Amino acid sequence: MAKAAQPALLQGTLDLLILHALQRGAMHGYAIAQTIHLLSEEVLKVEEGSLYPALWRLELDGAISSKSGLSENNRKAKFYQCTRHGAKVLAEQEATWERLSAAVSRVLAG
Amino acid sequence: MDMGRFFRKLLRRGAMHQSIEDELAFHREMAARHGNPIPLGNTAVIAEHGYALRRFSFLENLWRDVVYAARGLRRSPMLVAAALVSLGLGIGVNATMFSLGVEFLFSEPSVHDAASVLSVRFSGNSHSPHQVLDFLASSGLFADVVGENEEVFSNYNDGAETRPVFGVFTTKNYFTALGVPMLHGRGIAPDDPDEVAVLSYQFWQKYLRGDAAVVGRSLNLDGRMCTVVGILPEHHRTLIGFGYTPDIYMPRYLESTILAIYARRKPDMSVPAARAALAAVAKRLDIAIPVPYKYEQNLEVSPIAGWARLKFESDTLTLAVFFALLLLVTGLVLLIACVNVASLLLARASARRREIAIRIAIGASRGRLLQQLLADSFLLSLLGAAAGLALAEFSAMMLARIHLPLPMPISLQITPDWRLALYGAFLATASMLACGLLPAWQALKESISRDLHRENRMRLRRVLVAAQVAISVVVLATGFLFLRNLLRATALSPGFDVIHTIRANVNLPPSGYTESRQKYAFDEQVLSSLTALPGIESAAAARVVPFNGGTHFMVDLVFPDNGQHQRARFDWNAVTPGYFQTMGIPLLQGRTFTAEDRGRQVVVVNSAFVARYLGGRQPLGTVFLWGHDGKTPYRIVGLAAVTKIMTIGEAPQPQLYEPLAQIDNDRREIEFVMRSAIPPGLQLQPVARVLHRIEPMAGAEVHTMYSSIGLAFLPSQVGALLMGSTGVLGLLLATIGLYGVMAFSVARRTREIGVRMACGASRGDIARLVLRDSARVTLAGTVIGLLLALFVTRPLAMFLVPGLKPADPVNYAVAALAITVVALAATCGPILRALRIDPNSALRDE
Repeated sequence: MAKAAQPALLQGTLDLLILHALQRGAMHGYAIAQTIHLLSEEVLKVEEGSLYPALWRLELDGAISSKSGLSENNRKAKFYQCTRHGAKVLAEQEATWERLSAAVSRVLAG
Repeated sequence: MDMGRFFRKLLRRGAMHQSIEDELAFHREMAARHGNPIPLGNTAVIAEHGYALRRFSFLENLWRDVVYAARGLRRSPMLVAAALVSLGLGIGVNATMFSLGVEFLFSEPSVHDAASVLSVRFSGNSHSPHQVLDFLASSGLFADVVGENEEVFSNYNDGAETRPVFGVFTTKNYFTALGVPMLHGRGIAPDDPDEVAVLSYQFWQKYLRGDAAVVGRSLNLDGRMCTVVGILPEHHRTLIGFGYTPDIYMPRYLESTILAIYARRKPDMSVPAARAALAAVAKRLDIAIPVPYKYEQNLEVSPIAGWARLKFESDTLTLAVFFALLLLVTGLVLLIACVNVASLLLARASARRREIAIRIAIGASRGRLLQQLLADSFLLSLLGAAAGLALAEFSAMMLARIHLPLPMPISLQITPDWRLALYGAFLATASMLACGLLPAWQALKESISRDLHRENRMRLRRVLVAAQVAISVVVLATGFLFLRNLLRATALSPGFDVIHTIRANVNLPPSGYTESRQKYAFDEQVLSSLTALPGIESAAAARVVPFNGGTHFMVDLVFPDNGQHQRARFDWNAVTPGYFQTMGIPLLQGRTFTAEDRGRQVVVVNSAFVARYLGGRQPLGTVFLWGHDGKTPYRIVGLAAVTKIMTIGEAPQPQLYEPLAQIDNDRREIEFVMRSAIPPGLQLQPVARVLHRIEPMAGAEVHTMYSSIGLAFLPSQVGALLMGSTGVLGLLLATIGLYGVMAFSVARRTREIGVRMACGASRGDIARLVLRDSARVTLAGTVIGLLLALFVTRPLAMFLVPGLKPADPVNYAVAALAITVVALAATCGPILRALRIDPNSALRDE
């Protein structure tokens, strides 16, 4: 039953969500997961098994960059930040997503 | 692959690896702290995923394949040895020819900013008097104007012995204006006295044992004590290039020395602009220094280095075409070598069929397998390239060591450079693909469905054999053509003795030599003094010597015996009686001129003249009307052998000699030729002294005949040698390859032959079967090869001696015959083996 309450992420939307979350500033992986969780009003839950590979891939693609810093509890952590290229990717993905969701809504309404 | 991603991987690799586990641990700690459920799952799997992202999987797979291939190849040393020899020779000969070509065509003289230096030739003359150079310098058109006479003989006396050495006379600003790099000391400076010298590295090593303390000491050169101011580096390249390495550089001190002019253009001046401005200077020069020929006419300006030089000089363009063809032919030789290796690899791939089938079954991608199969040929071609470059390096060393049998010091300075490295890499890649692609592809296809492609494989092998036969025919035809050219060219003699003879070119001053009689008196006086010199056997004077210009006549000869008019075109010369003996030109009939001929009009003609114009008359005693009025009777008293006149490769030209005493001599220039019993190089100074004593005002240049015309022989001989040896190497490789391929293709049919014999085929049937098979393949290859050869050899015509045409049928016949013999020989061994096949064991074999 819990599965029904927490829909799985659609393929390809994780990148969009990560980049969107990072618009609020640099943050570490856990914070990104929490941000997405909270912003979705606790509907979406990002597992570490998909979060980190996505972060690493985005970093290799140059959409985000990382540097180490101190977390709020003074632990060394890796902070991610959206790059200029990332902002472009985000804009593209947002547009694609809007087209997609609008289309799906139209289909369901029809 | 995305380049940005590639570099990010490269740069951040270490840091990322380190952080993966820390990052995951931190995540779990934070989750625990916030009271969230600790994520389930295996962190090791996530980390592995991260590592995979950061790995260069292509390169790392490649490395693994190479290691695997190396292990496999270690088990087949024969394959490695065969590939090493084939590819090593093929790549070696390519690299050698390439670096030779680069050296000949693109080597830059050792001067600062060679691209801005131009060679300037007024009225088409390579050399001009120094007044011309001074005039050009004072025009202010160029940043600097320098001059050199690059071929001066000088006598070096080391206290015990006198040796002739090669010198260069330069203007004093030569070293400073050109910016010539030095090994020790400095170049000649503009304010130096005349008695200074710069030595070449080779002279310094040979005669002064490479002692650096020699700078500042004096050497006895031509009896003058000259202070050595500097030593040139070992790899100094002269302005004229071609490996010419003179011994000594000295300031020009004789008034009469003529100079080749080089000018450095100002930075803002283009070559065409320089040419236009020079034409204006030449016009003024013609007014300032009037000469019979105009300086303005045939004005030539050309860059001395790089591509630009090729565009301006047609000889170097010919050379470029030659090297391009040479590279094409050596490229074909390498292709033969590659086909050899390819057929070996094809056999190997068949043997690995089972292994490949298994790998495909457990999910290896085709690209991945292709890469693995190519690793074999990658390794082999890498080994071959290493061996080849080592071979090229060795042969370059040998070339530099070898003392070329030339009258002038030539040492080719071939140093491996980035161009050779690039070409080597290109050769290795090309041979990897040529060797490996076909066998690898075939192996893949076979493994997917072996029975379906069995027939296919046989066909592929036949195609390979046919291709090899075709390429071999092309290489053979080309190589053989050049070999014949070499034989003809060395057998070609200029028709006179160039080894024992000396040539002196004398320019008489205008005053006192207005009449032919005065000139002839001078000639006779010089000849009697010259023959008095010890070691001079005979001497003669002539209007011109061969290969140094000539006079052509196109006239109507009238034969009074039947009134026939004969249009004739011939080369004309006027000589003293001793000319034929001195030059070693055989008199076939009759006699030379004598003192009694004076007042009578007599001529000596050569055999080409007789054959072409006399219409079957006996030459001796024949009279024809000619002369200014066309009515003077001339009588033929002698028949001389043909000599070459303009080029070594020309067809026999008709020639007519008149006695020098009989002509109205309008020229102040006269040539003396001498035959010496001792090495002619040693006679140059005594001869020059005699000439100077008799007429101090006359300009005289004395050379050995060989150095005067020797370069005319060089290109065709070197070219023929290179092409000929390439052809022989190609034949060798083709023979080995053809034999291997033929033998292998019969061996592969063992089973089939066994079946046939079991079914009752006779030995004759089997022999016919195998023979017919290889004959068909050889025939197809030969026909294709001959057609290709027709195209490839066509541009070679310009390098060939007369009488030899690229489309010579003999050439093709020999190439085709050689290939057929090789193919037959290669088939016979396998046939004998096939006949001994025991049907039972053959059937059990597979």
